[in-house]
Amino acid sequence: MTHRRAFWLVMILAPVLLALCVLMGPSGIGFPDWTTQREILILRITRVLAGLIIGAALSCSGVVLQAILRNPLAEPYVLGVSSGAGLGATLAILTGLGAASAFALPLCAFVMAVLTLFLVYALANQGSTPSLYSLILSGVIVSSVCSSLIMFMVSVAPVEGMHSILWWMLGNLEVTSDALLATTGVLALLGILGMWLLAPELNALTLGQDMAHHLGIRVKAAMGSGLLLATLVTAASVGVGGLIGFVGLIVPHSLRSLVGPDHRRLIPAAALGGGAFLAVCDAIARTVLSVEIPVGVVTALIGGPFFLVLLRRRRRHGWTE
Amino acid sequence: MTAPAIQIEKVSAGYRETRVLKDLSLTVAEGEMVGILGPNGAGKSTLFKVLSGLLPPRSGTVRLFGQDVRRLPPAERARTVAVVPQDLDIPVPYTVEEVVMMGRTVSIGRLSRPTAHDHQVVERALVYTDVADIRHRPLNELSGGERQRAIVAMALAQEPRIVLMDEATSHLDINHRLEIMQLVERLNAEGGMTVLMISHDLQLAAEFSRRLILLDHGSLVADGKPAEVLTEEGVRRVYHCDVRVHQDSETGGLSILAPPRLPAVCAGKGIRIHVVAGGGCGEEVMRRLALCGYSLSSGVLNRGDLDTTVAEALGADTSLEQPFSPVSREALGSARELALKADAVVLAPVPFGTGNLVNLDLLEAARATGRPVFIAGGIEDRDFTPARDAVRRVRALIAGGATPWNDVAELLTLLPKGVKSA
Repeated sequence: MTHRRAFWLVMILAPVLLALCVLMGPSGIGFPDWTTQREILILRITRVLAGLIIGAALSCSGVVLQAILRNPLAEPYVLGVSSGAGLGATLAILTGLGAASAFALPLCAFVMAVLTLFLVYALANQGSTPSLYSLILSGVIVSSVCSSLIMFMVSVAPVEGMHSILWWMLGNLEVTSDALLATTGVLALLGILGMWLLAPELNALTLGQDMAHHLGIRVKAAMGSGLLLATLVTAASVGVGGLIGFVGLIVPHSLRSLVGPDHRRLIPAAALGGGAFLAVCDAIARTVLSVEIPVGVVTALIGGPFFLVLLRRRRRHGWTE
Repeated sequence: MTAPAIQIEKVSAGYRETRVLKDLSLTVAEGEMVGILGPNGAGKSTLFKVLSGLLPPRSGTVRLFGQDVRRLPPAERARTVAVVPQDLDIPVPYTVEEVVMMGRTVSIGRLSRPTAHDHQVVERALVYTDVADIRHRPLNELSGGERQRAIVAMALAQEPRIVLMDEATSHLDINHRLEIMQLVERLNAEGGMTVLMISHDLQLAAEFSRRLILLDHGSLVADGKPAEVLTEEGVRRVYHCDVRVHQDSETGGLSILAPPRLPAVCAGKGIRIHVVAGGGCGEEVMRRLALCGYSLSSGVLNRGDLDTTVAEALGADTSLEQPFSPVSREALGSARELALKADAVVLAPVPFGTGNLVNLDLLEAARATGRPVFIAGGIEDRDFTPARDAVRRVRALIAGGATPWNDVAELLTLLPKGVKSA
């Protein structure tokens, strides 16, 4: 199958999957009756939309970060964005700010995530273009400092605060406010559009910073805007859905081996494919047990083995070394 | 009047504390094909980084067709100069065609698809470099030679006016190396493309360049026709290695023969050499002599000196003095014994002061007993004694039959050879 054909397959199949997800829920499988179960239908559509938005955001950020950092292990959280957002969310929950408004917690998480990126970038940047290794290293270090701060706050927090923090960190797609979801959706859409416009730069940057320079790319500007877009979009989605793991790592790899590494195709495919993947995981999380499982658990449980199979198969097709 | 393709004026450049290029000035006219030679660390790659705008020079200007490369808009720069690196590590499986199309990055708009012209340029590059039949294969599955040809194709797809080849053919087999060079030569001859190529292959550089530039320690050492630059003397001075250069009387072509492996591993077997050194200046001499199988002794050296460490590591007999102390009578006596046990005495390029001047006694004693003595040139710059005694005594030694030497390769040709063991 050629990459082009696979691309169109993903672009058609993903919306179909999204539609199917609407049919699934704890109240049973099937299309809810419009007159009697209108609430249920709206609830399900909201959940699927949340899955689409957050899945698309995390997958596209993963694609961009893997291209810029030229590292197969890069994912949306690699530069400490997750821990920064976690710190913001913990602060919001423990100070009671999070209860004040539906926007308070996401905003805290968003602001802290963006601040973390700037800190990481400033640490890695010494005059010229930051080296990829120092970026990743400072990301890891800032991330563990933030995690320690979270652990500290959790350890002295009251019990109910601990529960909310844990639930948030596992990630779930229950969005309390439509306005919040709409805002996040617009942010994610704009961000992903920006990433897609950066496709030529991303393609060139995977050849290395020097080669990108020779090909006529403004390396520093391209890297800066790519990192910024990825962080904004990740921070927005983390604010709404918490720390949903694995999506931003496995979706980019899986789709790259399907539609090829050209970012002009990879970004739209990751957006739709990642969105569908997360929506399906969420549908499973809502349906299989009588209690709802955090969706982050499902993405890891499904994604992990799937990724390993892919890794074996892909030794020939994928990321070498 | 057209500006030269490349004009470098008094450029200094480097990384952090080290200055790699030092006040380099250079002009290359459009359509030239120039080979850049020089040992490792001479500044060849740094020169390319400065030329491609990757590394801002600390001082001086770099102009491509009259325009400062740092002020050139990136898209314009990509149409002016392309770089072919030695190798390109691409972590994701781009196909050959995709990579070559990336050469058109600045020509294809952000929102538009490649035009017919873009496709035509890519097609020509694919065919020229003989990768058209593997265009759909991922680059990271190819052999080194195929990958390198694809990278050359990407550079050609930029339609640049200048191509910088940074050891671009060093990973290729002899057939593809010649093929790529012929391709570049043809583009140079027909398309008027200016080509600069870094090479460690002197023979290849001489064959395909009409002009050679020899760099050493960040400065220009020689610049001219291959036959003028690649002299035995010039190569030895820069590369510290003996070669034979032969110019064919009919074709004028140069052939450069590798040194006849003169410092054979057992050349010095059974021969004992006493080296007068100190301060680290004897390190290279002793190492190379030991590699050729000579037995070594050295002294008088100060304890803790770099040369002492080297001599002891190489198993040489030494006569030692306390650190930072002038040479004592006892130490000199034992050094004299070592020198008179040796078959020859070598003076390393050691600086002389009042403290170690007596070491010259050893050379005079050896000479007096008819032993060959070899003296490193340039004593005038190394004599720090108040009355310039070292210069006087060294000149007397040379007048008395001691042999001067300038580099280790030369010294190895002069030293007595051991009996050939079966």
